[in-house]
Formats: sequence, C-alpha cells, structure tokens
Amino acid sequence: MSRTGTTSHPASDGLGLLSDDVVAVQRGPEPGGLAGAYRIFGETLRGLKTTFGQVVAGTTTVEYPEEKVPVYPRFRGRHRLHTFEDTGLEKCVGCSLCAAACPADCIRVVAAENDPEDRVSGGERYAAVYEINMSRCIFCGYCEIACPFDAITMGHDFELADYNRSDLIFTKEMLLQEPPVRTPLRREGE
Amino acid sequence: MPRPQPEEITFTIDGREVQAPAGLMLADAAKLGDVDIPVFCYEPKLGAPVGACRMCLVEIEGIPKLQTACSTPVRDGMVVDTTNDRVKAAQESVVEFLLLNHPLDCPVCDKGGECPLQDISYGWGRGESRFVEPKRHFQKPVELSPLIAIDRERCILCYRCVRFSQEVSEDYQLVLHERGADTFVGTFDGHPYSAPFSGNIIELCPVGALTSQAYRFRARPWDIEQSGSVCTMCPGQCNVSYTVRDDRVQRVLARDNDAVDDGWLCDRGRFAYQGAYVDERVTRPLVRVDGQLRPVSWERAEQEAVKLLGRSDGDGHTVGALAGSGTSNEEGWLLRRILTETLGSRDLDSRRDGALSAGLMAALDAPEAQATVEDLQYAHAVLVLDTEPVDDMPIVDLRLRKGHRRHGVRLMVAGSRPSSLDPIAEHSVRFAPGAGEAFVVALDAAIGGVGDVAGPAAAAGADPAAIEALAKDLREAGEDVVILWGERLTAGAPAAAEGSDPGANAARGLLKIAGRLGLTDDRAGAGLLQIPSSGNGRGLREIGFLPTAGPGYREPEDPGRDARGIAEALVDGELTVLHLLHADPLRTHGDRDLWQRALGAATGVVAHAQFLTEGILEHATVVFPAEAGAEKEGTVTHPDGRLQRLRPAAARPGEVRATWRTLARLLVALGGETSALTVMMVTAEIADAVPFYAGITHDEIGGFGVRWQERDAAAAFPQGETGPFTLDAPRSAASSNGALRLGTFRSVWSTPDVEHAPALRFLTPRQRAELHPDDARERGIGHGQRVRVSTGDGGAAVRAVAHLRQSAPRGSVFLEAGLAAESADAVSGPVVLVETERA
Repeated sequence: MSRTGTTSHPASDGLGLLSDDVVAVQRGPEPGGLAGAYRIFGETLRGLKTTFGQVVAGTTTVEYPEEKVPVYPRFRGRHRLHTFEDTGLEKCVGCSLCAAACPADCIRVVAAENDPEDRVSGGERYAAVYEINMSRCIFCGYCEIACPFDAITMGHDFELADYNRSDLIFTKEMLLQEPPVRTPLRREGE
Repeated sequence: MPRPQPEEITFTIDGREVQAPAGLMLADAAKLGDVDIPVFCYEPKLGAPVGACRMCLVEIEGIPKLQTACSTPVRDGMVVDTTNDRVKAAQESVVEFLLLNHPLDCPVCDKGGECPLQDISYGWGRGESRFVEPKRHFQKPVELSPLIAIDRERCILCYRCVRFSQEVSEDYQLVLHERGADTFVGTFDGHPYSAPFSGNIIELCPVGALTSQAYRFRARPWDIEQSGSVCTMCPGQCNVSYTVRDDRVQRVLARDNDAVDDGWLCDRGRFAYQGAYVDERVTRPLVRVDGQLRPVSWERAEQEAVKLLGRSDGDGHTVGALAGSGTSNEEGWLLRRILTETLGSRDLDSRRDGALSAGLMAALDAPEAQATVEDLQYAHAVLVLDTEPVDDMPIVDLRLRKGHRRHGVRLMVAGSRPSSLDPIAEHSVRFAPGAGEAFVVALDAAIGGVGDVAGPAAAAGADPAAIEALAKDLREAGEDVVILWGERLTAGAPAAAEGSDPGANAARGLLKIAGRLGLTDDRAGAGLLQIPSSGNGRGLREIGFLPTAGPGYREPEDPGRDARGIAEALVDGELTVLHLLHADPLRTHGDRDLWQRALGAATGVVAHAQFLTEGILEHATVVFPAEAGAEKEGTVTHPDGRLQRLRPAAARPGEVRATWRTLARLLVALGGETSALTVMMVTAEIADAVPFYAGITHDEIGGFGVRWQERDAAAAFPQGETGPFTLDAPRSAASSNGALRLGTFRSVWSTPDVEHAPALRFLTPRQRAELHPDDARERGIGHGQRVRVSTGDGGAAVRAVAHLRQSAPRGSVFLEAGLAAESADAVSGPVVLVETERA
C-alpha cells in the first residue's frame, strides 16, 4: 500500500487502519440444526424432482439409426430416375437440361442414340451416362423442375454417407434402383 | 473491279436516328441501332434475300403494309417501327404459324439450346398455340447423307440449305419437293447429298432439321466450350471454332473471317477432327527394335533420335528433312535450325516437286504482285492456272463461284484435267499433263502479241486458237486480273531431263505474263496467288524451309538438295538419315519407286506422325507422336501472306507431347541453343530472322490474322529477280504415240485423317482412271470397267476403275496420287498404257 506509514492522513482513525480498506465478509448461518438439514437436502430434491420427472415422462430420443424420423412428402433427398411402368423404358432421354439447371454442377449426362431394336428410352436418344456427384449436390431440386419428362425426381433418402468420395458418384443404374433402405414418410397429420 | 463503297445514310428506327451504309438490308442496318429484328431465312452469306419466313416484318412509314426487313434496303430518311402492336401481332402470328407443324421435341433435338427457333419463340412468340389439329408427320430421322441427318418435321422451310446448294456451292442437289404443307427438303434424285461442302447446311439450318451425324447427341450447348483456331489441313487455312467437351473436340464450326474463308468450311475441315480419337493414332513414341516399332519412353525415343541425327561421318552431313502439311512455322523453324545450325545440312524441303531459286520465289511472292483471297471475288477476271481449287484449296472454289455469281468476275480455267469450274468458266483451255511450262510460254506470247504461239502451244498439246482467245480476254478484261496458280506449275524436271529447268522457266513465264497484265505494279485487287502443295507452304517458304532459300528468301551460300535430290542422295548413300515432319514421302511426294528405295537405303528415319502410314510403318526408326490440328499452338501463313494463329483447343491424348517442344529438345541435345520456353518465344526467333515478319507477335496476329504485306516491316521484303525475263524453249509434252499421257492429281481428301475419321471414311477416294470416251472405245474399255495402268515395260501397274469423262482431253489419262492403295505414284512414266484387266 502506498499510503502505509503516512501519518498525516486526515481520515485515519485511532487504530491506525484506513476505513476504505475494510472489506466486510458475508457469512452464512452457522451449520447445524433443522435449518441446516433443509438447506442440505431441500434444493437437491428440487433438482431431482426434475430429473425423476423426466424418467416418468418417457423418452423423446429417436434411436437413430435403428429408428428413423419420417420425412415430409416434399423432403428433397437422394434422386430417383424413373422408368415407364408399362414398357419399362427409361423416361430420361438424356437432354441434359438437369445438368444445365444444376447450380452445383454435379450432374453429368452423355447421351447416345437409341437402337430401334433394343430401345433404352422412349425418345430418339437416351442417357448413356448419367451421373450425380452426391458430394457436390446441394439437394435444391432444380433438376426435378427442369426435367421435361419427369424422369428425375427427388427421393426421400438422406443416408448417403460413405467412406470414399468416388462412391458418392451415383451412376444411372444406382439412380434407377429403389434405394436399399427406405426412409419412412410422414403421414398426413403426423 | 472497284469494290462497292456505299455512302452513309441516316434512318430512324424505333425513334432512334441511326447511320448505316446505303443499300444495307434493314435487318442488318437495325443492328447498328441496337435493334434486333428476328430472322430465320435471312443469311447475307447466301446472297439475295428471299423473304420466305416472314419473321422480320416491320412497319415502315409511308408503306401501308408491313414489310420484310430482310429484303428491304435501307434508304435515307426511312422511319421504321419494330415494336408497335401491329408488328408485335404479326411477329406473334408468324411464330405461331411456324410452330404449327414443329414437333417441339427440343429435349431430344441436337439444336436445343442453340436454336434460333427456340430463341425467337421465347423472344417474340405468344407462348401458346391455338392449333389443335394433328401435326404433319414424316419418317424421322432420315439420313440425308452419311454426314447429315434430316428431320423433316422440324423444318420450317426457310430455303437456307436449298439456297446454299443452288447458289453457293452450286452442286444443285438440294431442292424442295411438293407444295404447301407437304413441302420437304431432299436431293432432287433421292440419292444421298454428297458434295465437298455439304456440312455447311448443318450450320445454316435455323432449326434442328439438319443435324450432324458425327455430333449426333454428343453434347449440349452448356456442356461445351468453343475454342477458335485455324484448320491446318490444306492451304485454305479456314478459321474454325472447335467445340470441346471433356477435353476432346466434338465438332468443328466455321468461324467467319471474310478475308480467309467467308464463313464456310469444307467437309474435311469439318469432320476430319475425328481422326484424332481413333485407336490407329500414334499416341506413344515408338522405336524400331528388331524390325518392329515398339512403344518406348519419350526419353528413350529422344535419345535414339539424337543418336541417329547426331551421327556424323567425318566431314559431310548425313541428314535430310521434309516438312509436310500441318507443320506450323515454329515447328518448321526449329527443324530448320536443327539441320542448318547443328548438323550443317541444307537438305531440307517443304515443296513437293523441285526447287525454285530464292530470287524467283521472292519475285512471285513480292507484296506488289500479291493478290488476296478477297481479290478473287472482286477481280475483273480470274485465271485459274494448273490447279483444281476444290482439290488443292477447297474453300477458294466457293469464293470463285461467289465472285462469278454476284460480282460478274470472268472466270478462265487453264489446266490439264477437267475442272469443276468449267461450267461457269468463260474459257477452259486444256494442255497436256505436265506441260504447264509450255502453256505459260504460249500464253505469254499470245498476251504480248510477240513471238510464236503455235510452237509452244503444240509443245503444250493445247489449241493455239484457244490460247489466243484466252489471252485476248485476259488483256481486255480490265485492270484487276488475278492469276490463281498451283505450285505444280513450277515443278522441276525429273533428274534425267537435260537442258533448262522447266520450273524456273514456267516461273519466269508467269512473271512475264503478270508484268504484261500489270499485276506486278502494286495494284490492289490484282496480282498472283499461289496455292502451295502443303498446308503451310507459304509459311515454310518464308522461314526458309527450302534448299534454295534462307529465312525471308535470303540466297543461301550453297543450295542444298530438294525433295527428289534428298531421295537420290539417300539411294546413293550420300545421306543416311531422313527427318520427316508430318510427311510420309510414299504418300505425299510422288515417285513411289524412288522413295521406296530411298527409305530402304536410309539407316535412320525420324518421323513425327499422327498415323503409321506405309512409309513410316515400314521404314521409320523413331516415331514421335504428332499433335492433331486442334492440339497445336503456333502460327501459320496463308497463301496470301496472312499470318494466323493456332490455339490449342483440346487435350493431347495419351503421351502425345507438343511437337515444337520435342524439336526444341532435340535442338538443344544436338548442341544448338534456344532460349525458347514457349511457342511465342519461337515466333519471336522467327520474327527476328525473317525481315518482313519483324516484330510480329501472337497478340498482333490475334483472332483474324494479319497480312505481313500490310505491316511496315513489309518494306524489308527482298528484291526478287526482276525482268526482263527471257524464256527458254519449253519442254514438249510427252508424245503419246499410241499410249496415253499420264496426268496425276492429288486431292485434300486422300489423306490419312480422312481415312481414319469414321464419319469421312466413305469419302476415301478409290483409284479411277479418267479418260475420254473415244480413247476408251479405241481400247475397248467401258465405263466402270476395271483397268490396269502401267508404263508397259514390265514396271509397276496401278489397278483402277475406268471413268469416262466427255470433258477429259483426248490422249490423256488421269489418276489420283497420294492414295493409300493403288496410288498413281507407283507409275512413274510420262506415258502409260491403259488396258482392261484380265480376270
């Protein structure tokens, strides 16, 4: 203290202590007694009430991946390519409009001409190569909007993680398949 | 002929005052005022407008009805409205009308995304149709030719393709059949549309009715990049735009450059790109091990090449070099430096037959005597001398037709073989094959009116009266005369011949004719234009890839050997190594027998090649994979002196490396010095060495090229040989004496890239013997019969199919040279026997 030893200070009392240096310490009540016991357990029990209340209330955790949250019908997940139900021909004619619409540039289409003997699609041309790079896709759904033949739609599957980047390039054959595990769809009013 | 210089007028369009040249069609003039008038059928390149599609209707003040802007020339004070309700209603109705029968199958149509019909429907259409009836149907798609697919449902009957066929390429094959709604485009006889320029109609079609078979469903406009460059396959050097997807050329489009190609492209330029992506292409360096070419590493191949080239036998050099079509100035320059600087050899040639002295070449290429391609279109008269444009430089064929049709150019043809220009030519004078020299001497005498015409005319096997008539019309045609002549005219004599050099004599005769017609006195619009034998013949000439001239036509101290001399020296063992830059003498250089012996005698042949053609497959010791045109960077020089720039558009497949870099590495390995790290630095080396190229850079050349004659440095052009020239008595054409004179021709279609391009393979020429029906009858030969052409002394024979042509001169037979099989090069005699082949 800079002021220690200065005797000429006007506020000094008879004890030689400076009054603005006094710090008052707040102390709790003395331990023991009933009040003491309440103080020990009361608040703890109040907290435990919340805890045990939750035990009674049951779980809200969804046990993913064993259990899945249903998605809304318009959820945009993994793409699907479609075929005509009657003829089995692919709807996609390889027009590449999806690739043009794609803001992430993740679709690659290489078209080829249909062999009239062995048709692949309904039109003159078909997609010989149709690839979507799922690691780039932002699931905006523009491809679905651009498609003039409703050949590509956004599915509901979102479990696309993989150990290898190259496995995330989905080929036409993969996109034409039903997804191996189906994502539950939220029902009306759910 | 003075070129039209229209005056500027002022007219008003949509309330804006716009300046435009008088006579310009309103559809074009509107663009000067930033007004876009939609058009389908209008295309200025096709000549006069037809007003077929009615899309360009506009309102003009003072005219009660709407007018077609494409066929209304703009006049001073004209007030035009393109946006009022009446015009808008008309435009909407026309779009609706054009779409009545259009199938709207845009997703499967190759034109989708780059389709004027789509653009205009969006921009000017109503967006809906009231048409509920069934649309008209055709079978689709139909092959119009192996190159073109036609979808008649999509056609809007704009006449563009028909006009191209009728008025531009003048093959008269496409017509419109039927009337009204049943109208459809087809060939007049139902056969496939086969013509050298057929691919242009694909680009002309404003809808997806005509599409390329080769590009069918390959890519969409948003998948691709366009990359401008120059085609190097023939001397025409058309400006092209490569469509690239996934680092590969998928399509070639014309890039308008009025001074070079006028916006057209031949089918070879358009489809031969496919040759770059076939399995036969050499993509790895090869070295001959135990008689077999085996793939090796680049380092090994370079070591082998350096070992071969650098091996010197004491005092003399041992290496000769040939450069062929597709060689850029830079590649030629580096190989020239390898030979002249490190190996001390001057045996290098880029011409096909025989060398001319530097002085004569400089005189023929002098800026004052130089005609441009555009001059062909505006000249008073054009003499096509000893060349067949559609074979040697296809694109000028269209230019000559345009000049004749639209500007009244008087066309005169002189050659041995019937020309495709004969029907529109005022004069078609024939001379015996190889007698160009005698013809030039006779023509000079006829134009000058001094000396004997009959003598040299007889030596040329030509009709003196026809030469006199040709000379008279050339003299009287006007000041602007252009002589388009082929390099073959100045071919040297075979080594066995005695006496004067016929090539030099022909060159002097040509200079004399030019002098008499006033072509050499720096008159714009008149002059000489040479079609060289190789794609970049002029550039290689000017950088000094010649035995008789250094860079910029400098006279060398001691001339080297020309191509034939190199072959003979190889046979004699004076040379042992041959360096081939994009050349295979068995295909490109004639006289097969001599070259076969020469290549057989050579101890080493270093080749840069895209394909293993016969000579390379059998004789090359080291083969470096060569770049295709779309992969190359550098400069080339057009026959009229325009330097043009090659820009790499696509990736090189496999292990192909840049040829210029390989040559630069060889140069350094052989002890030469070059500081060139980029192609541009090699161009700078050339600019330093060739005085009239001084200071030229890639930037200055730009996208459309620059003619060195128009730069200040042109003043440094060396003085060539000046007259007065005296002409020697010309060589007589071989006397037929019962046999037929052999004429050969070489077309741009008989090349490996045409053979290897899947789309063009059907065009690969097969040998046929063209002769006059009377000659054939005397020999008992009928049209289409198989014949055998030989010198008759037990030498090699060529098998061909007899093709009787009424227009062929009597006493001659024509065979094609440069073919892969049964090439005319196998028969070397001036006269041959043609016999029916016995089974």
